[in-house]
Amino acid sequence: ATILKLSHNQDQKHPVHLSMKYMAEKVKEYTNGEVRVRIYPNSQLGTQRESMELLQSGALDIAKTNASELESFEPAYGAFNIPYIFHDSDHFYRALTGKVGDDILNASAGKGFIGLTYYDGGSRNFYAQKPIKSPADLVGMKIRVQPSPTAVEMIKLMGGSPTPLAYGELYTALQQGVVDGAENNPTALTNSRHGEVAKFYSLDEHTMIPDVLVIGEKSWSKLTPEQQVAVKKAAKESMLYHKELWAKMINEAVDQAKSSMGVTFVDVEKQPFIDAVKPMHDAALKNPEIAEYVKEIDALAN
Amino acid sequence: MEWLVFVVLFGTFFIFLGLGVPISFAIGVSSLLTILLALPFDAAISVISQKMASGLDSFSLLAIPFFILAGNIMNQGGIAMRLIEFAKVLGGRLPGSLAHVNILANMMFGSISGSAVASAAAVGGTMAPLQRKEGYDPAYSAAVNITSCPTGLLIPPSNTFIVYSLISGGTSIGALFLGGYIPGIIMGVSLMIVAGILARKHNYPVSPKPTFQEVLKKTLQAIPSLGLIIVIIGGIIGGIFTATEASAIAVIYTLLLAVVFYREVKVSQLPKIILESVMTTSIVLLLIGASMGMSWAMANADIPYMISDALLAISDNPIVILLLINVILLVIGVFMDMTPALLIFTPIFLPIAMDLGMDPVHFGIMMTFNLCIGICTPPVGSALFVGCSVGNVKIDKVIKPLLPFYAVLVLALMLVTYLPEITLILPRVFLGYQ
Amino acid sequence: MNKIIRLLNKVLSTFCVSLCSVLVACVVWQVFSRYVLSSPSTYTDEIARFLFIWVGLMGAAYTLGQKKHLAIDLLAQKLENSPSKENVLRLIINLVSLFFVTVIMTYGGGKLVMQVLSTGQVSPALGVEMGWIYSAIPLSGIFMLIYLFQDFIQCLNTLKSPASHSSEEQI
Ligand code: NA
Ligand code: NA
Repeated sequence: ATILKLSHNQDQKHPVHLSMKYMAEKVKEYTNGEVRVRIYPNSQLGTQRESMELLQSGALDIAKTNASELESFEPAYGAFNIPYIFHDSDHFYRALTGKVGDDILNASAGKGFIGLTYYDGGSRNFYAQKPIKSPADLVGMKIRVQPSPTAVEMIKLMGGSPTPLAYGELYTALQQGVVDGAENNPTALTNSRHGEVAKFYSLDEHTMIPDVLVIGEKSWSKLTPEQQVAVKKAAKESMLYHKELWAKMINEAVDQAKSSMGVTFVDVEKQPFIDAVKPMHDAALKNPEIAEYVKEIDALAN
Repeated sequence: MEWLVFVVLFGTFFIFLGLGVPISFAIGVSSLLTILLALPFDAAISVISQKMASGLDSFSLLAIPFFILAGNIMNQGGIAMRLIEFAKVLGGRLPGSLAHVNILANMMFGSISGSAVASAAAVGGTMAPLQRKEGYDPAYSAAVNITSCPTGLLIPPSNTFIVYSLISGGTSIGALFLGGYIPGIIMGVSLMIVAGILARKHNYPVSPKPTFQEVLKKTLQAIPSLGLIIVIIGGIIGGIFTATEASAIAVIYTLLLAVVFYREVKVSQLPKIILESVMTTSIVLLLIGASMGMSWAMANADIPYMISDALLAISDNPIVILLLINVILLVIGVFMDMTPALLIFTPIFLPIAMDLGMDPVHFGIMMTFNLCIGICTPPVGSALFVGCSVGNVKIDKVIKPLLPFYAVLVLALMLVTYLPEITLILPRVFLGYQ
Repeated sequence: MNKIIRLLNKVLSTFCVSLCSVLVACVVWQVFSRYVLSSPSTYTDEIARFLFIWVGLMGAAYTLGQKKHLAIDLLAQKLENSPSKENVLRLIINLVSLFFVTVIMTYGGGKLVMQVLSTGQVSPALGVEMGWIYSAIPLSGIFMLIYLFQDFIQCLNTLKSPASHSSEEQI
């Protein structure tokens, strides 16, 4: 049997891991056991970035990463990182399961990897020691971001001070006031225990950045055309399997943050935030590398 | 097939190690040979060479050159002597005073320099002639110096914890720093107890009582040096900078102290001091890069699972498993230095410990404590080597006087292992760490 | 040969000392811009990480030249009284080191650089081609090769003319 090694950075209880296990079972079923997927969790075989490089050299077959990390390998994924590109979860799924989603997965052909499917990574929101209900609330606040130009520009346009910081130091930094806030999906409150040190989670839903499952072209070409179809099919099915698991986990995380950590969830009127980052959307429509994708995604909004 | 991976990885590694191949090269080559069992040549190489660069791509690691640099500046700046004088004030009236002074000075100097060997050299080098003059057995003095110099690896700041934080997937450095205080002090105090008992047995002298003026003067002189600790820990707790950034602040602080305030280091000496720090850093970095390649080779061959299955097959009682892990680490420490041991074995043992419900901060401090004993044991132990050389004692002469100190350290290790509160209380109180 | 070694020592040490100083300044600036100026620098984090990779790897080459990498030299100590055996041991150690430096650092590192450059991967904050960052690996490998080569020649020469010499491995 052909064994495909898959690397990801979550633990074995995370929906992503469970969804990929589901995919592995389906791959085995659809190929009559000729192709097996072996999963290595917890970044054992490298960070997301390292795994991408290992795919290209053939030391690894499949890696889970996310659209924001992938942008430096394939600009097309940048379309997903624009704030408020998706209006809501339905819009998000229409785009990912539709033609534009497939086009982006295939955009990297020739660069050593292609995308197999997406996994919901939830929406990212601000959390801090105070509610953030409008861009005005962000003024003077140091917000921890991942070190990407998109994230930095977004915070700047909204009025805050973007502060790149290693994730491992974020808990202490929030607690001691090195930074005033951060942005992530609700699992950061529980899994990384940030809910202990940031008591307001403001639901502005600025980005919905999907996780992406990618396979190295070296490994892909080792599969027969029938096996390729089977792997793709299994991957696609695991995306929908994941949708439910993810929703369930997010609900649990929110409940836990509210009840045992005392985090207040704040509803936010999104329009002022959308207006603030409109220049990013306009710039994307002029960027030849992603303009077409952005238009297609926009067209899928209600 | 499974045993073959084991034989290739550990077999070639120990052969290279025994021959005297630089440890980082030994790790790299044996990892490559192991990966070659599973992957084609080019793919296998790409893993290791990638880790040589991307394994170093971590902001936290910056603390290593900075704390080393700060320590080196302090070494040149006569700070050890000031701390020894202050230690005399603190421990001068106990039986075998000079042994206590040695331990206390190592705790303070090791704390701010963050290096066991620098401390052993600076403090031991100054203390050994004084002790000899007062009739102390040089082997006993060396044993005291050797076993107490690692206290500075536990008492923050500590590069060991930074390496551990990286390899354990981002354990809070702030929490590790605060967590190290009490175990480090326990290490020092337990050594003082043994040193005191032995000193009474040998009738070693008690120093004369210093005058109040002397006490005041020596304390005042030590304050600027000890101020570094306050700046670092205060800055972290006060939210001014992160634990990593604190290291750069430490460099600036020691520079001001040594160059401007004490005027004991000239600006023209700085390039040499920096270069020495870069070399020490590079040794650690090459080890880190290669060890990350080895972790990959092990994960790829499922070795961590095999070891944890084997451990869990012996017992599923947490107390027994932790005991086993400690025994294995003590044996490893006999042969291997702190950093490579930490890098290679954290990925194997940490997941097991976490399955038992152990906190990663607690585990890291337990492991560091354990490996601190290892750097004092022959045949391979950096503290042992430096301690013997500055104390002018042959290694075989120092082993017997070391035994009672080993014993009390193992006892203290058990306390740290089985009473998590010792480690976790400070991070909980000051950082709200859960 | 010795001239090249001296030049290389000078270049590498100057490079490392300057870069290390910049590194300190970089992190201090990060704290200053955030805490004092309240406008956090968004580039220092990445600049510092990349400088660090370069200092580390160039420093590793320099350190090899100084024979300061950690090794266990118990065997060499045992052979102290028979210089010819000790020299053979030194040759074997050099061969393993040569294997590491040639295959992993120079060849493997070089391939990695080519691969990453060809896929055009860029760094998230600065947009620098990651291939250039990684080129520190093969470059450091080449410098290490020069040092190893020199030691190798010295070793062969002593083997031919068994004059006494002292080896100074580790720490
Ligand atoms: Na320390
Ligand atoms: Na040892």
